[in-house]
Amino acid sequence: MLFFRSEDTLNEWLASEQVQRGHVFTIPQLWDLSQRWYQNRMSPDFHGRTLGQVQEIFHEFELTSEFWQIP
Amino acid sequence: MKPDEDTLWDIRAFVYRHIAETTRPPHLEETAARFGLTHEQAAVAYEELHKRHAFLLKPGTHAILMANPFSAVETPFFVLANNKTYFANCAWDSLGIPAALHSDAKVEARCAQSGDVIRLQVTDGQVSRSDALVHFLIPFRDWYSDLAFT
Repeated sequence: MLFFRSEDTLNEWLASEQVQRGHVFTIPQLWDLSQRWYQNRMSPDFHGRTLGQVQEIFHEFELTSEFWQIP
Repeated sequence: MKPDEDTLWDIRAFVYRHIAETTRPPHLEETAARFGLTHEQAAVAYEELHKRHAFLLKPGTHAILMANPFSAVETPFFVLANNKTYFANCAWDSLGIPAALHSDAKVEARCAQSGDVIRLQVTDGQVSRSDALVHFLIPFRDWYSDLAFT
């Protein structure tokens, strides 16, 4: 996951690397997801997540495209 | 012999606490000493926690390389929090560190195309305004070779 200064620099990078666009977050969007994803990471009670729990988080953030599909 | 489940997860918690306090993961011998384990028992515990994606070992070693969102090695993603400099594994993890620590933070990284510095600040649970974007290239199904747990 990489930072880009703007949509233009991202498009230049995709062209230069000859790769398809994946999923793009704005900083506020990614901060919101980070808080949800990592909020309990330091807790002794955090033992990882099941794929069902991951899917729940993705749905909360409307990450429902093919890119976020759980196998 | 593999340590019991409680000890395994206590080791995981110790690793994360150690990183938060020192910015680096504990060496295998530190963990063995902390839990009164032999080198072999601690090695088995590290391997088991690696299998469960609790952290990632450097291939062929018992050195912790990543404990998301933290990196054990220097990366271009700097996070200053609690008067310490942490390294994140990627753009997402650079926001993951203040989220995990529940702390204010300054993030410094670079645009992958232009090299321009990108600075973000987290204060009181809010992130500073920025026009920067974060691109995820790899679909979720390919994040891990074994996707039982994340």
